[in-house]
Amino acid sequence: MGRPSADVLQGTLDLLILKALSLEPMHGWGVSQRIGQISRDVLQVNQGSLYPALHRLEERGWIASDWGTSDNNRRAKYYSLTATGRKQLAEETADWERFVLAVQRVLRTV
Amino acid sequence: MRPPTFWLRRGLLRLRALLDRPAAERELDDEIRFHIEREAEERVRRGASPGDARRDALRAFGGVERHKDDCRDARGVRPLEELAQDLKYGVRALRKNPGFTTVVVLTLALGVGANTAVFSVVNGVLLRPLPYREPEQIVTLWQHNRTSGETRDDVSPANFLDWRERVRSYDGVAMIEPYGLDLLGPDGPESIRTWLVSDGFFSILGTPPQLGRPFRPEEFTAGHDHVVVMSDGMWRRRFGADPGIIGRTITLDQVPWTVIGVMPPEFKFPAGRELWAPRVFTEDDVRQRGPAYFNVIARLKPGLAPGAAQAELSGVAAQLAREYPRTNAHVGATVVPLPEQLLGRVRKALLVLLGAVGFVLLIACANVANLSLARAVQREREFAIRAALGAGRGRVVRQLAAESVLVAALGGAAGVLLAYWGVKGIRAFSPANLPRMDELHLDARVLGFALAASLATALVFGLAPALYAARPNLHEGLRAGTRGATSGLARQALRGALAVGEIALAMVLLVGAGLLARSFASLLQVDRGYRSDHVLAVTVHVWQFAETPAARAGYVRDAVERLAALPGVRAAGMTSSLPLAEAIGAVRAPLTIEGRPAPAPDAVPIAHTTAVTPGYFAALGIALRRGRMLARSDDASAPPVALINETMARRFWPDEDPIGKKIVVPIHYAGKPVSREIVGVVADVRHAGLAEEPRPSVFLAHAQAPTGAITFAVRTAGDPLLALARVRETIRAPMPALPVSSATTLDTLLADSLRERRFHLLLLGTFSLLALALAGVGVYGIMSHATSERTREIGVRMALGARGADVLSLVMRQGGRLALVGVAAGLAGAAALTGLLRGMLYNVTPLDAVTFAGVAALVLVTAALACYVPARRATRVDPLRALRAE
Repeated sequence: MGRPSADVLQGTLDLLILKALSLEPMHGWGVSQRIGQISRDVLQVNQGSLYPALHRLEERGWIASDWGTSDNNRRAKYYSLTATGRKQLAEETADWERFVLAVQRVLRTV
Repeated sequence: MRPPTFWLRRGLLRLRALLDRPAAERELDDEIRFHIEREAEERVRRGASPGDARRDALRAFGGVERHKDDCRDARGVRPLEELAQDLKYGVRALRKNPGFTTVVVLTLALGVGANTAVFSVVNGVLLRPLPYREPEQIVTLWQHNRTSGETRDDVSPANFLDWRERVRSYDGVAMIEPYGLDLLGPDGPESIRTWLVSDGFFSILGTPPQLGRPFRPEEFTAGHDHVVVMSDGMWRRRFGADPGIIGRTITLDQVPWTVIGVMPPEFKFPAGRELWAPRVFTEDDVRQRGPAYFNVIARLKPGLAPGAAQAELSGVAAQLAREYPRTNAHVGATVVPLPEQLLGRVRKALLVLLGAVGFVLLIACANVANLSLARAVQREREFAIRAALGAGRGRVVRQLAAESVLVAALGGAAGVLLAYWGVKGIRAFSPANLPRMDELHLDARVLGFALAASLATALVFGLAPALYAARPNLHEGLRAGTRGATSGLARQALRGALAVGEIALAMVLLVGAGLLARSFASLLQVDRGYRSDHVLAVTVHVWQFAETPAARAGYVRDAVERLAALPGVRAAGMTSSLPLAEAIGAVRAPLTIEGRPAPAPDAVPIAHTTAVTPGYFAALGIALRRGRMLARSDDASAPPVALINETMARRFWPDEDPIGKKIVVPIHYAGKPVSREIVGVVADVRHAGLAEEPRPSVFLAHAQAPTGAITFAVRTAGDPLLALARVRETIRAPMPALPVSSATTLDTLLADSLRERRFHLLLLGTFSLLALALAGVGVYGIMSHATSERTREIGVRMALGARGADVLSLVMRQGGRLALVGVAAGLAGAAALTGLLRGMLYNVTPLDAVTFAGVAALVLVTAALACYVPARRATRVDPLRALRAE
């Protein structure tokens, strides 16, 4: 902690989770680490709030879960992207890019 | 589109979350514990002490319980969990009050059970499609006899052949004719009831045989026609369901026939017979246009409406009327869809019964609504407290709804059990003309109906207390609850309406049942013209054993004489047509009265003509009114004579003495039409049934009109069935191979003829008494609650000097007002509805004053009794205690 952290909006959190899982199945802790790593700890996800999001995404059918064995040889719940989730990721990524582009344009112009 | 696996996974997830809550919780725990431990490990790896690492990991995670709760919410099972809670709480609440639960469940079980039983009859008889291909395209064709007014008269052979040739609207027209083929069985020859059918019969119905094949066109020509198709029943009973039956030869009428097909079990068309055989047309058939005895079915071309087919057939009938005016001048044609022909008559009666039983369910609902309301009042404080603790109004209503659904489900389940027995009872009493009764069972649709009825019930009776609990002013509930609710004008009005409704509904049913009962009683008292007790009736098929008229006359004369000589036999006779029996020998013929000008075509006298032996009138106890009876001396060598009945005498000789007048009766079996002298007038007999007015009838001496349609009627001193073996033996003595096609008693035939009325009376009677009992209990309950709520008021009155009698009259007046309003509503309802029973009544109008008055009195007495008990209880209120209870 102690670093500046962005307050991640819920919709964005979903997008980040989907993106993190797009490479390989992962458990919840892994997802939180991955998001921290990739964003170089700029995006600090409140670890606990990751889980309701994971459960919500599973409920929507975008990700699926399965119990597996972790790298330190313990039982862990692994999440993976479903076909629907992959499509959703593509859509949300496109949306996000349009949004960012629009905001950038506004910021440069004004 | 989402793939099916998506919904599957999601459904499983939700199901598991709901059903296996502990496991789901455990997994959530495991998942979060793993996260925190992994995070702590990571921090240790980076150099933190184990204690610090764990603390920091927990802090980084945030509130564990809050996140868990969010996870549960994310799963979307919250509403279902609440429902589970409601149900659990409902079970507890119902178990805490076993008296209430038992009464309510039993009441609902009676209502739902009776409805389900009747619905299963409606379902089996009316709703299930007929087991033929596109049954709505199948029609029956009839002659419309404009002389007698009969619109569905049988069709004559020549007319059938012409119709079949000339119509274009049909994919096939076929005839059906009842027949008997004699099979040699272990007990001697037995007449197997057979249908003769013409080419196309099976393809019109569209049902293939389960074994073998239907008839081929060439099998309808003489010499190739000894082939039969068998019913499933006969195949199983007589041939042990032998699959090798196809192609086998069986002996019928002493000649070999080949079995070519076995129909499936559900194929029973027309009903009641076991064999189908080809009908070969002869030269005689082509000429025979007068006597009509074919039933005709046809299949409409696809997309053709019955109306168009009717128009075409009417046109053909009009052509025939022009071409053959002597026989066809007054013959039209009628097209009736097969479902209407088979079920039209029973539909109305069944729907009336379904409506009646629906009334019973409504009364049951009213009772339960009142009980639930009373309970809701008692629980006022509970609701108020729950609301005060934060339960939303919706939640309280949902809680009550869950209880209602629970009770209704229990009642519904018990109702299905009752229905199972009810259906058995209904089947045992059902009349023979209620088709398809043997196929009744509780199928998915019936169970669905029971479920729907139960849920509808829950909605109806659950509504009152739920609305009551959802009143906006909750704190009043808290306050009033402690003081023994005094408010509740609306509640009283609701209760009053329930009582009035119950009384009115029960009234309507009782009036209906009363009308049926009065009809039945008056039918039994009607003068039927003969005595049905101690009469044995045995029908034989004699055609092939006694082919000449003389042989038949001789056989009958000897048989009757030997029967009369048997010990225990009082009288014996023979008739070609026995009252109430299937009248194959009954001929309705136009007759000529000698010495009168030829009547207008539509005023030709028609009489029911029967050939009998002299002993017939003694055997049936038919009285002589004028002239003389037939005698042994009225034989073939004597001048032809006839007896007529009183109706015929009155109608055709209103102002004269018919004795000595001469008539000509054209009867095909009597040879050339001859003039016959009327020698006597006998009493009217209600031939076709007790409700049928006597028709003009002529009786000929069998010796002078030797028909082969022979039924022996034997009056015995003791039980007629005990004499059966001897009678059978005597009849067969001259020709041991003679088949007996039916043997029964006249009492049995009479009981069978009343079966349909008895069935309706029994069912409607049962339902109306059930309704009266439920309404009585309901009024009692309503008055009890109303009175107990007035305990304080009554206490005050008594403290101020009111005596027991005053209190009694106070309560009785309150109940009496409700009963009177209920009876008035019931009378109005009954007057509006009993018209539906019109076809089922005899000698009673739908507005029969005696029935209406009697039922009103019965209901008022019942209501008075139901009010008296709570009223008596009210007189024993102790004023001190009532006031202190505040």
